[in-house]
Amino acid sequence: MRNVRITRWYLHLLFFAFPLWLGAINISFADKVSLDPSNWGLEEGEACISCHKKSSAGLTHQWQSSAHASAGVNCLDCHYADQVDKDAIEHEGSIIATIVSPKDCGRCHTREYKETEGSVHSKALSLIKNRIPALADNLTGQEMVTAGCAKCHGSKVEVRGDGSLSPNSWPNTGIGRINPDGSRGSCSACHGRHSFSKAQARDPSACVWCHSGPESPDGEVFDSSKHGMLFAANREKMNLHSDDWVLGKDYSAAPTCVTCHMGATPGVKASHDVGMRDAWNLNQPISEKQSLIIFEDGDRRELPESQPVPRRGNEISKLDGSMGKVKAVASSKRRRQIMSKVCLECHSKGFANGFMKQFDNVVELYNEKFGKPAQAIMLALYEMNLLTPAPFDDPLEFTYWRLWHDEGTRARHGAAMMSPNFTWWEGMHLVGQNFYGEFLPQVRELAGAEKADKLINEHVLSLDEHSWLKNPSKPNPILGYGIGKPSHD
Amino acid sequence: MIKIRMPLFITRHVLLALILGGVAGIGFMIFLTEFDHFTSTEAFCTNCHSMELVAEPYRESVHFRPASGVRASCGDCHVSEGVFAATWDHFIGGKDLYNQIFGPNYDDPVIAKLHMPEAAFSAREWFKKRNSATCKRCHVKEAIYGSRPDTVEIHKQDAKDKSCIECHYNLVHAKVPAESVFKRDEWNRMVELEFDLKRGAADKLLEE
Repeated sequence: MRNVRITRWYLHLLFFAFPLWLGAINISFADKVSLDPSNWGLEEGEACISCHKKSSAGLTHQWQSSAHASAGVNCLDCHYADQVDKDAIEHEGSIIATIVSPKDCGRCHTREYKETEGSVHSKALSLIKNRIPALADNLTGQEMVTAGCAKCHGSKVEVRGDGSLSPNSWPNTGIGRINPDGSRGSCSACHGRHSFSKAQARDPSACVWCHSGPESPDGEVFDSSKHGMLFAANREKMNLHSDDWVLGKDYSAAPTCVTCHMGATPGVKASHDVGMRDAWNLNQPISEKQSLIIFEDGDRRELPESQPVPRRGNEISKLDGSMGKVKAVASSKRRRQIMSKVCLECHSKGFANGFMKQFDNVVELYNEKFGKPAQAIMLALYEMNLLTPAPFDDPLEFTYWRLWHDEGTRARHGAAMMSPNFTWWEGMHLVGQNFYGEFLPQVRELAGAEKADKLINEHVLSLDEHSWLKNPSKPNPILGYGIGKPSHD
Repeated sequence: MIKIRMPLFITRHVLLALILGGVAGIGFMIFLTEFDHFTSTEAFCTNCHSMELVAEPYRESVHFRPASGVRASCGDCHVSEGVFAATWDHFIGGKDLYNQIFGPNYDDPVIAKLHMPEAAFSAREWFKKRNSATCKRCHVKEAIYGSRPDTVEIHKQDAKDKSCIECHYNLVHAKVPAESVFKRDEWNRMVELEFDLKRGAADKLLEE
C-alpha cells in the first residue's frame, strides 16, 4: 500500500513538476534570440554608420546605445531588402527598405513575431475597417484616417510605382499596420526606434500613446488606480532594464500593463499575444465573454461565448474571411485563470477572486441595465424607419454612441483596472446621466409619446433595475429637497 | 620693304585656298560653338512637345530656381564641355529626334511617362560614365557645405570615391526608381492611376 502511494507520488512528480520545471526554463530564456551571431553583422552594413553618424546623428546615437549595436546588429541587418521586394529602394549602392516589418524583425525574433502576428494587436486595422467610413468619410475626412485612426490602428502602406511610400500611409507605426511584404503590425509601435529598448516598452507610456482617450482609457485608468499609484511612487525599483523580468523574481514594486497582459510570472509564460488573458470584450455596445480560438497555423481569433464553441479539428472562419483549422480553444474561464495567476504573485486567492467578481458585476450591470435596453431601442427605431440607416445624422445616434463607446467603455475599463474615478465619475455615473437625462428623452422626442412609451415600457420599465422610475414620490436629500423626510429605501 | 620668300609650291592658287580654308575652318568652329550653345538651351530642347513634359518638373526644381540665381539649362547638365564633345553629344542626341519623328508618340503624356524610366536609366548611365563631369562644371565637392554641420565631412570622407550621380539622382525630373529595383508592373499601374486608365491599358500602349 505504502509502495503504491510512493509510486503515485513519483508519477505525480513526473506529470506535474517536470513540465513546471521546463516552464521555468522557458521563462528565463524566452526573450533571447537563439540564432547564431553569424546570422547578422552584414559587412556592407558597417559602411552605413560613418555617414549616418553625420547625416542623422540622433538615430545613429540611439542605435549605438542599443542592445542591437552591442550584439553587432547593424543598419543593413534590419533594413536589408531583396531586389524583388515591393518597397525595395537603391540607397548609396545598397538595396534596402525603409520599413522594417515584423517579418523582418522575425528573422531573429521568431517567437515574438509569431505571437504578435496572431494577436489582436496585429489585427487592429482589420478590426475597425468597417467603422472607419462612418467616422472618417461622414463625420470628419480622409485626412483623419491618416493622422488619427491609422496612427494607432495602422495604415495599409502604399508603395507607389516610382518607389516612394505614399504620405497617405507613411510614416506610420500603428500596431495593425499592413506592411508592403504582407505582414501585419509594427514592432516600433511599442519598441521605439532605433533603440528598441526593453525597458522603454515595459513602461506604461509605451501603451498609453494609444491606450488613452474614450475608446481605451487605460492610461488614465491605470494612473488613477492603486497599481498606477505604486508604479509612480516606485518607478526606480521596477528593475525595468533587467534582462529577464519575471514578477516576484526580478521586480515586485508595482505591476505595469505588461505585467498583467503579457508578462512572465512563475508558472505563466511571457507572451507578445497581448489580448490572450482578456476574458471579456469591453469595447462593444454589449460586453461578452470570449474564447480564444487558436488555429493550426498559429493564427488566433476571438469568439463570443454566446456562439457554439468549435472542437479541435473543426474549420471556422478567420478574421480575414479565410477558413482555418482549430488547434485549441481557450475559454474565457481559462483566460481568466491565467490572468489571475499573475494577481496571486502579490494577492491572496480570495482577494483576487473577490476583485474579479466586483469587475464582472460592473460589466454585467452595464450590460443589463443600460447596454442591452439601449441597443434594443436603437434597433427598433431603425426597424421602424424612425432613424435612417446612416449612422450620425440624428442627435440620438451621437447620444447612443457616447453612451456605450465613451462612457460605457470608461466604466468597464475603470472596473477592469481598479480606478474608482473612471468606474464611477467618468464612467457609470455619466452612463446613468446620459441614459435617463438624454437618451430616453431623445427617444421620446424622435418617436413621439405613444411609440416611445411602448418601447420604453418594453425594454426599460419592465426591468427591476429601472423600477425606481415607478416610485416618483420617494425623495432623497441629494438635491436639497426632502431633507428630514423618509428617504429612498 | 621686306620680301618674304615663299616656297615655290605656294603658288597664288594655293595661297588663296589656304586663306579661304582657314577662314572657312574658323567659321565652321564658330558655327559649331554657336550651334552647340543654341541647341543646348531650354528654348531649343522644348521645341519638341515631349521635352516640354520633361521640363515641367525641372522648372519646379532647385536647378531651375536656386537662391543664387545660377540656373542650369538642359545642356549645362546633358551636354559635355568642349566643342568636339558637345558636338558628338548632339550628334548622338540626334537619335532622340529620329525617335520623336518615327518612334512612339512621345508628345502624349501617357506614352512619355511610360517610356520615361528607360530614358532616366540611360541618362544616369551617361552621367556615371563621365564621372558626373557636367555636375562638376558648377559643383566642387570640397566646397559643399550644405545646411547640416556635417555635410562637408560626408562629402570629404564618405563620398570621397563617389561621383555625384551615385547618390544624387531624382533631383530634377519626375521620380524614377533605380534600375536595380525598378518594377515595370508597378510603374504601369501608377501611370494608369495618374491618367485614369483601365488596368492593363498601359501594357497595351507599350506594346504598340
